[in-house]
Amino acid sequence: MNLERLVQVDRRIVYLLIALGTLIPILKPIGFAVSTTPPVENFFAKVESLGGDDAVLVSFDYGPTTAPECDPMAEAVLRHCFTRGIKVVVVALFPLGGVTMAGEALEKIVPQYPDLVEGEDYVFLGYKDGAQATMKQMGVAFSGVFPSDQEGTPLDELPLMTQVLNYANIALVVSIATNVIGEWWANLVNAQFGTPVAVGCTAVSAPKYYAFLDSGQMLGLLGGLKGASEYEQLLIDRYPALEPIYSKAGEYNAMKGMDAQTVDHAIIMLFILYGNGVYFLIRRREKREARLEQ
Amino acid sequence: MFWKLRLPLMLTFIVGLVPIVTFFLTERVWGVAFVRDRVEQYMVIITGFALLLGVVNVVQGNIRKIERRKPGWPFAVSLLLGLFVMGAFGILSAARVGPFQSILTAPDGSDTPFYWMTRHLFNPLQAAMFSLLAFYVASAAFRAFRVRNVEATILLTAAFIVMLGRTPLGEYVFSWLPNGETFLPWVTEWIMAVPNAAAQRGIIIGAALGAAALSLRVILGIERSYLGIREK
Repeated sequence: MNLERLVQVDRRIVYLLIALGTLIPILKPIGFAVSTTPPVENFFAKVESLGGDDAVLVSFDYGPTTAPECDPMAEAVLRHCFTRGIKVVVVALFPLGGVTMAGEALEKIVPQYPDLVEGEDYVFLGYKDGAQATMKQMGVAFSGVFPSDQEGTPLDELPLMTQVLNYANIALVVSIATNVIGEWWANLVNAQFGTPVAVGCTAVSAPKYYAFLDSGQMLGLLGGLKGASEYEQLLIDRYPALEPIYSKAGEYNAMKGMDAQTVDHAIIMLFILYGNGVYFLIRRREKREARLEQ
Repeated sequence: MFWKLRLPLMLTFIVGLVPIVTFFLTERVWGVAFVRDRVEQYMVIITGFALLLGVVNVVQGNIRKIERRKPGWPFAVSLLLGLFVMGAFGILSAARVGPFQSILTAPDGSDTPFYWMTRHLFNPLQAAMFSLLAFYVASAAFRAFRVRNVEATILLTAAFIVMLGRTPLGEYVFSWLPNGETFLPWVTEWIMAVPNAAAQRGIIIGAALGAAALSLRVILGIERSYLGIREK
Protein backbone atom coordinates (compact mmCIF):
# COMPACT_ATOMS: atom_id res chain seq x y z
CA MET A 1 0.00 0.00 0.00
CA ASN A 2 1.38 3.40 -0.97
CA LEU A 3 1.03 5.33 2.29
CA GLU A 4 2.51 8.52 0.83
CA ARG A 5 -0.36 8.68 -1.64
CA LEU A 6 -2.90 8.20 1.15
CA VAL A 7 -1.67 11.29 3.00
CA GLN A 8 -1.77 13.42 -0.17
CA VAL A 9 -5.52 14.02 -0.15
CA ASP A 10 -6.55 16.37 -2.93
CA ARG A 11 -7.31 19.70 -1.24
CA ARG A 12 -10.42 20.07 -3.39
CA ILE A 13 -11.92 17.14 -1.46
CA VAL A 14 -11.27 19.03 1.80
CA TYR A 15 -12.81 22.18 0.32
CA LEU A 16 -15.87 20.28 -0.93
CA LEU A 17 -16.49 18.63 2.43
CA ILE A 18 -16.13 21.93 4.26
CA ALA A 19 -18.53 23.58 1.80
CA LEU A 20 -21.09 20.82 2.29
CA GLY A 21 -20.53 20.82 6.05
CA THR A 22 -21.34 24.52 6.10
CA LEU A 23 -24.19 24.60 3.59
CA ILE A 24 -26.26 21.61 4.64
CA PRO A 25 -26.62 22.51 8.37
CA ILE A 26 -27.48 26.13 7.43
CA LEU A 27 -30.15 25.01 4.97
CA LYS A 28 -31.41 22.23 7.23
CA PRO A 29 -30.58 23.11 10.86
CA ILE A 30 -29.77 20.22 13.18
CA GLY A 31 -30.55 22.03 16.43
CA PHE A 32 -27.71 20.97 18.71
CA ALA A 33 -28.20 21.83 22.39
CA VAL A 34 -26.14 24.75 23.69
CA SER A 35 -24.60 24.77 27.17
CA THR A 36 -23.44 28.02 28.79
CA THR A 37 -20.10 29.07 30.28
CA PRO A 38 -19.24 31.56 33.08
CA PRO A 39 -17.89 34.41 30.86
CA VAL A 40 -21.22 34.52 28.97
CA GLU A 41 -23.32 33.99 32.11
CA ASN A 42 -21.57 36.94 33.82
CA PHE A 43 -22.16 39.15 30.79
CA PHE A 44 -25.83 38.19 30.69
CA ALA A 45 -26.23 38.66 34.47
CA LYS A 46 -24.81 42.18 34.26
CA VAL A 47 -27.30 43.25 31.57
CA GLU A 48 -30.02 41.48 33.54
CA SER A 49 -29.17 43.57 36.62
CA LEU A 50 -29.80 46.82 34.72
CA GLY A 51 -33.14 48.54 34.19
CA GLY A 52 -34.93 51.48 32.61
CA ASP A 53 -32.83 54.08 34.45
CA ASP A 54 -29.56 52.69 33.10
CA ALA A 55 -27.78 53.29 29.82
CA VAL A 56 -25.58 50.84 27.93
CA LEU A 57 -23.05 51.94 25.34
CA VAL A 58 -22.89 49.46 22.46
CA SER A 59 -19.86 49.95 20.23
CA PHE A 60 -19.81 48.32 16.80
CA ASP A 61 -16.13 47.59 16.38
CA TYR A 62 -16.38 45.06 13.58
CA GLY A 63 -17.01 44.92 9.86
CA PRO A 64 -18.68 42.62 7.34
CA THR A 65 -15.74 40.19 7.38
CA THR A 66 -16.74 38.90 10.81
CA ALA A 67 -20.47 39.61 10.62
CA PRO A 68 -21.57 35.94 10.83
CA GLU A 69 -19.92 35.74 14.25
CA CYS A 70 -20.46 39.27 15.50
CA ASP A 71 -23.93 40.16 14.15
CA PRO A 72 -25.73 37.61 16.36
CA MET A 73 -23.91 38.99 19.43
CA ALA A 74 -24.84 42.59 18.67
CA GLU A 75 -28.43 41.64 17.91
CA ALA A 76 -28.81 39.54 21.08
CA VAL A 77 -27.38 42.32 23.28
CA LEU A 78 -29.62 44.96 21.66
CA ARG A 79 -32.67 42.69 22.08
CA HIS A 80 -31.77 42.06 25.70
CA CYS A 81 -31.38 45.78 26.42
CA PHE A 82 -34.58 46.78 24.63
CA THR A 83 -36.55 43.95 26.27
CA ARG A 84 -35.47 45.25 29.69
CA GLY A 85 -36.12 48.87 28.75
CA ILE A 86 -32.43 49.78 29.10
CA LYS A 87 -31.39 52.91 27.23
CA VAL A 88 -28.86 52.25 24.47
CA VAL A 89 -26.21 54.54 23.01
CA VAL A 90 -24.77 53.11 19.79
CA VAL A 91 -21.42 54.14 18.34
CA ALA A 92 -19.13 52.64 15.68
CA LEU A 93 -15.35 52.83 15.95
CA PHE A 94 -14.31 50.29 13.30
CA PRO A 95 -13.44 52.03 10.04
CA LEU A 96 -14.22 49.23 7.58
CA GLY A 97 -17.97 48.96 7.88
CA GLY A 98 -18.67 49.48 11.59
CA VAL A 99 -21.24 52.17 10.94
CA THR A 100 -23.19 50.08 8.42
CA MET A 101 -23.10 47.05 10.70
CA ALA A 102 -24.65 49.21 13.43
CA GLY A 103 -27.19 50.66 11.01
CA GLU A 104 -28.26 47.22 9.79
CA ALA A 105 -28.53 45.82 13.32
CA LEU A 106 -30.73 48.72 14.45
CA GLU A 107 -32.83 48.46 11.28
CA LYS A 108 -33.46 44.81 12.11
CA ILE A 109 -34.00 45.01 15.88
CA VAL A 110 -35.80 48.34 16.43
CA PRO A 111 -38.98 47.38 14.44
CA GLN A 112 -39.34 44.37 16.79
CA TYR A 113 -39.94 46.89 19.62
CA PRO A 114 -42.61 49.29 18.28
CA ASP A 115 -42.67 51.37 21.48
CA LEU A 116 -39.05 52.47 21.13
CA VAL A 117 -38.51 56.16 20.50
CA GLU A 118 -35.31 57.23 18.79
CA GLY A 119 -33.53 59.86 20.83
CA GLU A 120 -35.28 58.81 24.03
CA ASP A 121 -34.76 55.05 24.27
CA TYR A 122 -31.77 54.77 21.98
CA VAL A 123 -29.46 56.96 19.96
CA PHE A 124 -27.12 56.16 17.09
CA LEU A 125 -24.14 58.51 17.18
CA GLY A 126 -22.43 57.08 14.11
CA TYR A 127 -18.75 56.53 13.34
CA LYS A 128 -15.71 58.39 14.59
CA ASP A 129 -12.15 57.80 13.50
CA GLY A 130 -9.25 57.42 15.93
CA ALA A 131 -10.75 54.90 18.35
CA GLN A 132 -8.41 55.48 21.31
CA ALA A 133 -8.69 59.25 21.28
CA THR A 134 -12.46 58.99 20.78
CA MET A 135 -12.79 56.61 23.72
CA LYS A 136 -10.84 58.96 25.99
CA GLN A 137 -12.81 61.99 24.87
CA MET A 138 -16.15 60.25 25.46
CA GLY A 139 -15.06 59.92 29.08
CA VAL A 140 -15.03 63.72 29.28
CA ALA A 141 -18.10 64.41 27.14
CA PHE A 142 -19.84 62.55 24.32
CA SER A 143 -20.53 65.92 22.73
CA GLY A 144 -16.78 66.51 22.44
CA VAL A 145 -16.49 63.88 19.70
CA PHE A 146 -20.09 63.38 18.61
CA PRO A 147 -21.66 66.85 18.33
CA SER A 148 -24.67 65.28 16.59
CA ASP A 149 -26.16 61.85 16.01
CA GLN A 150 -25.95 59.86 12.79
CA GLU A 151 -28.81 61.83 11.23
CA GLY A 152 -27.27 65.19 12.15
CA THR A 153 -29.52 66.01 15.12
CA PRO A 154 -27.50 67.98 17.71
CA LEU A 155 -26.91 66.06 20.91
CA ASP A 156 -28.64 68.64 23.11
CA GLU A 157 -31.86 68.03 21.14
CA LEU A 158 -31.80 64.31 22.01
CA PRO A 159 -33.48 63.74 25.39
CA LEU A 160 -31.34 60.67 26.15
CA MET A 161 -28.09 62.52 25.54
CA THR A 162 -29.05 65.31 27.91
CA GLN A 163 -28.88 62.66 30.64
CA VAL A 164 -25.95 60.66 29.29
CA LEU A 165 -23.06 63.08 29.25
CA ASN A 166 -20.04 60.79 29.64
CA TYR A 167 -19.02 57.39 31.04
CA ALA A 168 -20.26 58.42 34.50
CA ASN A 169 -23.78 57.93 33.11
CA ILE A 170 -23.02 54.61 31.39
CA ALA A 171 -23.71 51.43 33.36
CA LEU A 172 -21.98 49.11 30.91
CA VAL A 173 -19.90 49.33 27.75
CA VAL A 174 -20.42 46.51 25.28
CA SER A 175 -17.90 46.28 22.48
CA ILE A 176 -18.54 43.84 19.65
CA ALA A 177 -15.05 43.75 18.28
CA THR A 178 -13.12 42.14 15.51
CA ASN A 179 -9.63 43.37 16.32
CA VAL A 180 -7.71 45.35 18.93
CA ILE A 181 -10.48 47.89 19.62
CA GLY A 182 -12.16 45.59 22.15
CA GLU A 183 -8.87 45.46 24.06
CA TRP A 184 -8.74 49.25 24.25
CA TRP A 185 -12.16 49.38 25.88
CA ALA A 186 -10.76 47.15 28.63
CA ASN A 187 -7.32 48.64 29.13
CA LEU A 188 -8.26 52.25 28.49
CA VAL A 189 -11.90 52.87 29.41
CA ASN A 190 -12.23 50.34 32.22
CA ALA A 191 -8.77 51.03 33.62
CA GLN A 192 -8.99 54.82 33.49
CA PHE A 193 -12.69 55.51 33.99
CA GLY A 194 -13.79 52.40 35.92
CA THR A 195 -16.71 51.78 33.54
CA PRO A 196 -17.69 48.08 33.41
CA VAL A 197 -16.77 46.58 30.04
CA ALA A 198 -17.95 43.41 28.31
CA VAL A 199 -16.67 42.29 24.93
CA GLY A 200 -18.01 40.09 22.17
CA CYS A 201 -15.28 39.02 19.78
CA THR A 202 -14.41 36.53 17.07
CA ALA A 203 -13.31 33.06 18.20
CA VAL A 204 -9.85 33.63 16.79
CA SER A 205 -9.25 36.65 19.03
CA ALA A 206 -11.02 35.27 22.11
CA PRO A 207 -7.86 33.73 23.71
CA LYS A 208 -6.21 37.12 24.31
CA TYR A 209 -9.34 38.50 25.98
CA TYR A 210 -9.15 35.87 28.72
CA ALA A 211 -6.24 37.82 30.24
CA PHE A 212 -8.47 40.90 30.62
CA LEU A 213 -11.31 38.75 31.92
CA ASP A 214 -9.06 37.23 34.54
CA SER A 215 -7.73 40.62 35.65
CA GLY A 216 -11.26 41.97 36.13
CA GLN A 217 -10.90 44.60 33.40
CA MET A 218 -13.74 42.88 31.59
CA LEU A 219 -16.75 41.37 33.32
CA GLY A 220 -17.89 39.12 30.50
CA LEU A 221 -16.90 37.72 27.15
CA LEU A 222 -18.73 36.30 24.17
CA GLY A 223 -16.08 34.27 22.38
CA GLY A 224 -17.03 33.67 18.76
CA LEU A 225 -20.16 31.97 17.53
CA LYS A 226 -20.23 29.69 20.59
CA GLY A 227 -20.37 32.70 22.93
CA ALA A 228 -23.10 34.30 20.80
CA SER A 229 -25.16 31.09 20.79
CA GLU A 230 -24.83 30.83 24.59
CA TYR A 231 -26.12 34.39 24.97
CA GLU A 232 -29.06 33.61 22.66
CA GLN A 233 -29.85 30.49 24.68
CA LEU A 234 -29.79 32.45 27.96
CA LEU A 235 -32.00 35.10 26.38
CA ILE A 236 -34.57 32.54 25.23
CA ASP A 237 -34.53 30.75 28.60
CA ARG A 238 -35.15 34.04 30.44
CA TYR A 239 -37.56 35.56 27.90
CA PRO A 240 -39.47 32.73 26.16
CA ALA A 241 -41.41 35.35 24.17
CA LEU A 242 -38.26 35.88 22.09
CA GLU A 243 -38.14 32.22 21.06
CA PRO A 244 -40.19 32.66 17.81
CA ILE A 245 -37.62 35.23 16.60
CA TYR A 246 -34.83 32.71 16.98
CA SER A 247 -36.70 29.74 15.55
CA LYS A 248 -38.00 31.63 12.50
CA ALA A 249 -37.08 29.87 9.28
CA GLY A 250 -34.71 31.73 6.97
CA GLU A 251 -33.33 33.93 9.76
CA TYR A 252 -29.67 33.44 10.58
CA ASN A 253 -28.59 33.36 14.21
CA ALA A 254 -25.70 31.97 16.24
CA MET A 255 -27.53 28.81 17.33
CA LYS A 256 -28.14 27.89 13.71
CA GLY A 257 -24.56 28.87 12.83
CA MET A 258 -23.30 26.56 15.57
CA ASP A 259 -24.68 23.56 13.65
CA ALA A 260 -22.41 24.40 10.72
CA GLN A 261 -19.47 25.12 13.01
CA THR A 262 -19.94 21.79 14.81
CA VAL A 263 -20.01 19.81 11.57
CA ASP A 264 -16.99 21.71 10.20
CA HIS A 265 -15.03 21.16 13.40
CA ALA A 266 -15.85 17.46 13.19
CA ILE A 267 -14.66 17.31 9.56
CA ILE A 268 -11.40 19.10 10.41
CA MET A 269 -10.78 16.81 13.40
CA LEU A 270 -11.46 13.70 11.34
CA PHE A 271 -9.00 14.91 8.70
CA ILE A 272 -6.37 15.60 11.38
CA LEU A 273 -6.91 12.14 12.88
CA TYR A 274 -6.71 10.55 9.44
CA GLY A 275 -3.54 12.50 8.56
CA ASN A 276 -1.89 11.54 11.83
CA GLY A 277 -2.96 7.89 11.46
CA VAL A 278 -1.28 7.64 8.07
CA TYR A 279 1.72 9.60 9.36
CA PHE A 280 2.03 7.10 12.24
CA LEU A 281 1.95 4.16 9.78
CA ILE A 282 4.63 5.81 7.61
CA ARG A 283 6.89 6.34 10.60
CA ARG A 284 6.39 2.75 11.75
CA ARG A 285 7.27 1.49 8.29
CA GLU A 286 10.36 3.71 8.14
CA LYS A 287 11.53 2.43 11.54
CA ARG A 288 10.97 -1.16 10.44
CA GLU A 289 12.92 -0.58 7.22
CA ALA A 290 15.74 1.05 9.19
CA ARG A 291 15.89 -1.97 11.49
CA LEU A 292 16.01 -4.36 8.53
CA GLU A 293 18.84 -2.36 6.94
CA GLN A 294 20.84 -2.70 10.15
CA MET B 1 17.53 72.44 11.04
CA PHE B 2 14.99 74.17 13.29
CA TRP B 3 11.92 73.48 11.11
CA LYS B 4 12.84 69.97 10.08
CA LEU B 5 14.33 68.69 13.31
CA ARG B 6 14.11 70.81 16.43
CA LEU B 7 10.49 71.96 16.08
CA PRO B 8 9.10 68.43 15.41
CA LEU B 9 11.15 67.08 18.32
CA MET B 10 9.89 69.83 20.63
CA LEU B 11 6.28 69.28 19.54
CA THR B 12 6.62 65.52 20.03
CA PHE B 13 8.08 66.05 23.50
CA ILE B 14 5.31 68.43 24.62
CA VAL B 15 2.39 66.51 23.08
CA GLY B 16 3.78 63.19 24.28
CA LEU B 17 4.19 64.49 27.79
CA VAL B 18 0.65 65.91 28.13
CA PRO B 19 -1.24 62.57 28.44
CA ILE B 20 1.35 61.25 30.90
CA VAL B 21 1.37 64.32 33.14
CA THR B 22 -2.40 64.88 33.05
CA PHE B 23 -2.97 61.22 33.94
CA PHE B 24 -1.27 61.79 37.27
CA LEU B 25 -2.83 65.18 38.03
CA THR B 26 -6.41 65.80 39.13
CA GLU B 27 -8.68 68.17 37.25
CA ARG B 28 -8.43 70.60 40.16
CA VAL B 29 -4.97 71.60 39.00
CA TRP B 30 -5.39 74.72 36.87
CA GLY B 31 -5.32 74.14 33.13
CA VAL B 32 -5.05 70.33 33.25
CA ALA B 33 -8.51 69.59 31.91
CA PHE B 34 -8.24 72.28 29.24
CA VAL B 35 -4.89 71.09 27.86
CA ARG B 36 -5.81 67.37 28.06
CA ASP B 37 -9.15 67.86 26.29
CA ARG B 38 -7.61 69.95 23.52
CA VAL B 39 -4.84 67.43 22.88
CA GLU B 40 -7.34 64.56 22.78
CA GLN B 41 -9.57 66.45 20.36
CA TYR B 42 -6.58 67.21 18.14
CA MET B 43 -5.71 63.50 18.21
CA VAL B 44 -9.10 62.67 16.67
CA ILE B 45 -8.55 65.31 13.97
CA ILE B 46 -4.97 64.20 13.26
CA THR B 47 -6.10 60.57 12.95
CA GLY B 48 -8.51 61.75 10.25
CA PHE B 49 -5.60 63.30 8.39
CA ALA B 50 -3.64 60.06 8.75
CA LEU B 51 -6.53 58.34 6.95
CA LEU B 52 -6.28 60.95 4.20
CA LEU B 53 -2.56 60.28 3.95
CA GLY B 54 -3.31 56.58 3.50
CA VAL B 55 -5.80 57.35 0.71
CA VAL B 56 -3.23 59.56 -1.07
CA ASN B 57 -0.67 56.79 -0.77
CA VAL B 58 -3.04 54.17 -2.21
CA VAL B 59 -4.01 56.47 -5.10
CA GLN B 60 -0.40 57.29 -5.97
CA GLY B 61 0.71 53.65 -5.82
CA ASN B 62 -2.14 52.40 -7.96
CA ILE B 63 -1.94 55.19 -10.55
CA ARG B 64 1.74 54.31 -10.98
CA LYS B 65 0.78 50.66 -11.41
CA ILE B 66 -1.76 51.53 -14.12
CA GLU B 67 0.62 53.89 -15.94
CA ARG B 68 3.34 51.24 -16.10
CA ARG B 69 0.86 48.48 -16.96
CA LYS B 70 2.24 46.30 -14.20
CA PRO B 71 0.79 42.78 -13.79
CA GLY B 72 -2.68 42.99 -12.27
CA TRP B 73 -3.21 46.64 -13.28
CA PRO B 74 -6.92 46.11 -14.05
CA PHE B 75 -7.37 45.34 -10.34
CA ALA B 76 -5.82 48.72 -9.56
CA VAL B 77 -8.41 50.34 -11.85
CA SER B 78 -11.26 48.61 -10.03
CA LEU B 79 -9.74 49.58 -6.67
CA LEU B 80 -9.52 53.26 -7.61
CA LEU B 81 -13.00 53.18 -9.12
CA GLY B 82 -14.41 51.73 -5.90
CA LEU B 83 -12.44 54.18 -3.78
CA PHE B 84 -13.56 57.26 -5.71
CA VAL B 85 -17.20 56.28 -6.28
CA MET B 86 -17.85 55.11 -2.71
CA GLY B 87 -15.67 57.86 -1.28
CA ALA B 88 -17.53 60.55 -3.24
CA PHE B 89 -20.97 59.34 -2.15
CA GLY B 90 -19.72 58.93 1.42
CA ILE B 91 -18.31 62.46 1.58
CA LEU B 92 -21.41 63.98 -0.07
CA SER B 93 -23.65 62.14 2.39
CA ALA B 94 -21.53 63.06 5.41
CA ALA B 95 -21.43 66.71 4.33
CA ARG B 96 -25.18 66.58 3.53
CA VAL B 97 -24.81 68.14 0.09
CA GLY B 98 -27.87 68.53 -2.17
CA PRO B 99 -30.00 65.37 -2.30
CA PHE B 100 -27.54 63.45 -0.10
CA GLN B 101 -28.93 64.30 3.31
CA SER B 102 -27.95 61.16 5.21
CA ILE B 103 -25.24 58.51 5.21
CA LEU B 104 -27.44 55.44 5.60
CA THR B 105 -31.13 56.05 4.95
CA ALA B 106 -32.73 58.71 2.76
CA PRO B 107 -35.70 60.71 4.13
CA ASP B 108 -38.11 58.47 2.16
CA GLY B 109 -36.69 55.40 3.95
CA SER B 110 -34.72 54.06 1.00
CA ASP B 111 -30.99 53.36 1.09
CA THR B 112 -28.65 56.18 0.13
CA PRO B 113 -26.29 55.33 -2.81
CA PHE B 114 -23.44 54.92 -0.29
CA TYR B 115 -25.45 52.54 1.89
CA TRP B 116 -26.71 50.62 -1.15
CA MET B 117 -23.15 50.04 -2.37
CA THR B 118 -22.05 49.08 1.13
CA ARG B 119 -24.88 46.59 1.51
CA HIS B 120 -24.76 45.05 -1.95
CA LEU B 121 -21.09 45.32 -2.91
CA PHE B 122 -18.75 46.04 -0.02
CA ASN B 123 -20.32 43.72 2.58
CA PRO B 124 -20.69 40.61 0.36
CA LEU B 125 -17.21 41.07 -1.13
CA GLN B 126 -15.58 41.45 2.29
CA ALA B 127 -17.54 38.50 3.68
CA ALA B 128 -16.59 36.33 0.68
CA MET B 129 -12.89 37.15 1.13
CA PHE B 130 -12.95 36.25 4.80
CA SER B 131 -15.04 33.11 4.35
CA LEU B 132 -12.31 31.62 2.14
CA LEU B 133 -10.31 31.32 5.34
CA ALA B 134 -12.43 28.37 6.49
CA PHE B 135 -11.28 26.32 3.51
CA TYR B 136 -7.62 27.22 3.91
CA VAL B 137 -7.69 26.59 7.67
CA ALA B 138 -9.20 23.14 7.14
CA SER B 139 -6.66 22.22 4.47
CA ALA B 140 -3.71 23.66 6.44
CA ALA B 141 -4.78 21.94 9.68
CA PHE B 142 -4.91 18.59 7.89
CA ARG B 143 -1.46 19.07 6.37
CA ALA B 144 0.38 20.73 9.25
CA PHE B 145 -1.01 19.18 12.45
CA ARG B 146 1.30 16.19 12.92
CA VAL B 147 2.35 14.51 16.16
CA ARG B 148 6.04 14.93 15.41
CA ASN B 149 7.29 15.62 18.96
CA VAL B 150 6.12 16.27 22.53
CA GLU B 151 5.38 19.97 21.94
CA ALA B 152 3.32 19.23 18.83
CA THR B 153 1.41 16.54 20.74
CA ILE B 154 0.57 18.96 23.58
CA LEU B 155 -0.55 21.59 21.04
CA LEU B 156 -2.65 19.08 19.12
CA THR B 157 -4.27 17.71 22.29
CA ALA B 158 -5.15 21.23 23.52
CA ALA B 159 -6.46 22.16 20.07
CA PHE B 160 -8.59 19.01 19.93
CA ILE B 161 -10.09 19.62 23.35
CA VAL B 162 -10.85 23.28 22.59
CA MET B 163 -12.29 22.47 19.15
CA LEU B 164 -14.52 19.80 20.64
CA GLY B 165 -15.39 21.79 23.75
CA ARG B 166 -16.37 24.80 21.64
CA THR B 167 -19.12 22.81 19.97
CA PRO B 168 -22.08 20.80 21.28
CA LEU B 169 -20.19 17.66 20.16
CA GLY B 170 -18.00 18.02 23.22
CA GLU B 171 -21.03 17.57 25.44
CA TYR B 172 -22.01 14.31 23.75
CA VAL B 173 -18.55 12.71 23.93
CA PHE B 174 -18.62 12.20 27.70
CA SER B 175 -22.40 12.23 28.15
CA TRP B 176 -22.31 8.56 29.24
CA LEU B 177 -20.54 9.69 32.44
CA PRO B 178 -22.49 11.20 35.37
CA ASN B 179 -22.51 15.00 34.66
CA GLY B 180 -20.32 14.12 31.68
CA GLU B 181 -21.95 16.76 29.44
CA THR B 182 -20.20 19.53 31.36
CA PHE B 183 -16.79 17.83 31.54
CA LEU B 184 -15.28 18.82 28.20
CA PRO B 185 -16.70 22.37 28.20
CA TRP B 186 -15.20 22.73 31.70
CA VAL B 187 -11.78 21.49 30.54
CA THR B 188 -11.98 23.85 27.53
CA GLU B 189 -12.81 26.80 29.77
CA TRP B 190 -9.93 25.82 32.11
CA ILE B 191 -7.44 25.71 29.20
CA MET B 192 -8.61 29.15 28.06
CA ALA B 193 -8.76 30.73 31.51
CA VAL B 194 -5.55 29.32 33.02
CA PRO B 195 -2.69 28.26 30.69
CA ASN B 196 -3.91 30.38 27.78
CA ALA B 197 -4.59 33.48 29.94
CA ALA B 198 -1.16 33.15 31.57
CA ALA B 199 0.58 33.02 28.19
CA GLN B 200 -1.55 35.86 26.82
CA ARG B 201 -0.78 37.98 29.89
CA GLY B 202 2.94 37.47 29.29
CA ILE B 203 2.59 38.50 25.66
CA ILE B 204 0.48 41.56 26.54
CA ILE B 205 2.85 42.72 29.30
CA GLY B 206 5.84 42.22 27.00
CA ALA B 207 4.18 44.15 24.19
CA ALA B 208 3.13 46.94 26.57
CA LEU B 209 6.66 47.28 27.95
CA GLY B 210 8.01 47.42 24.41
CA ALA B 211 5.44 50.08 23.45
CA ALA B 212 6.26 52.10 26.58
CA ALA B 213 9.99 51.92 25.86
CA LEU B 214 9.49 52.94 22.23
CA SER B 215 7.16 55.80 23.26
CA LEU B 216 9.78 57.05 25.72
CA ARG B 217 12.45 56.94 23.00
CA VAL B 218 10.16 58.93 20.68
CA ILE B 219 9.24 61.50 23.36
CA LEU B 220 12.87 62.00 24.35
CA GLY B 221 13.95 62.35 20.73
CA ILE B 222 16.16 59.23 20.71
CA GLU B 223 14.01 57.46 18.12
CA ARG B 224 13.81 59.74 15.07
CA SER B 225 12.91 57.37 12.25
CA TYR B 226 9.39 58.88 12.06
CA LEU B 227 11.08 62.09 10.88
CA GLY B 228 12.77 60.22 8.07
CA ILE B 229 16.09 60.23 9.95
CA ARG B 230 17.85 56.89 10.06
CA GLU B 231 20.33 56.06 12.78
CA LYS B 232 23.81 55.30 11.48
